[in-house]
Amino acid sequence: MSGVPELLVLRLLSGREMYGYEIVKAVRLVTGEAIGFGEGVIYPVLHGLEENGAVKAKRKSVNGRERVYYAVTAKGKRRLEHLSGEWQRVSTGVNSALGDLTKEPQNA
Amino acid sequence: MPSTQFESLRLELLRGGVAPVYVERTILELEEHYADLTSDALAAGHGAEDAAENARAALGSEHAIIAAVLSRPELLEWSTRWPTVALCLRSAATIGVLPGLPLVFCIEHRPELARWGAAVGVAAAVVGAILAGLNFMIALA
Repeated sequence: MSGVPELLVLRLLSGREMYGYEIVKAVRLVTGEAIGFGEGVIYPVLHGLEENGAVKAKRKSVNGRERVYYAVTAKGKRRLEHLSGEWQRVSTGVNSALGDLTKEPQNA
Repeated sequence: MPSTQFESLRLELLRGGVAPVYVERTILELEEHYADLTSDALAAGHGAEDAAENARAALGSEHAIIAAVLSRPELLEWSTRWPTVALCLRSAATIGVLPGLPLVFCIEHRPELARWGAAVGVAAAVVGAILAGLNFMIALA
């Protein structure tokens, strides 16, 4: 499942800029809580994407709270397209394999 | 997770070679995240203790967060990512600096060195004069 956290984060950030807590809540919402993870691990993912130039971070003071908002960059959009393509390819392959497995008992 | 507990996380990340800028960012964002989790739990009617406990559980263990950060080489300091290069550069810098150190010392301590040189010169002249006198007296005897 390598690249899945990056894929989800980039997909969510392609809609609008968000801060970490918002991203975690959005991931839970869009995946129907199918993906479980400690929420604190979202930050290394975001920082890694920032270091690679896929997102940019901006500090904002909102209601006396210091928020770090993330927005996807042009490089991040290209990365999202690449990861989406990879995921579609893997997903199709796995679905195909699972389809073959379900047919197998009928052939035997 | 109360902020005092993030101190050990901060130290572990620094010890692991994570770039200080990302250590500070991680701590700041985790503190904010923890505050969001607790305030949402309180708003949902949980007690303060329950809210804190649920927030701690939701953030995940300190060990998991540390492992997640350390698994990303791009967040580590360059000297941790390329230790051989760092060692070579440090050695080269030390070799480059060492010959210059005595010169810097002399420039910084010019008055003391001048007094020391004068004292040594006077002492040498006095000793030389005594030895010459003794030599002269031996020649006469």
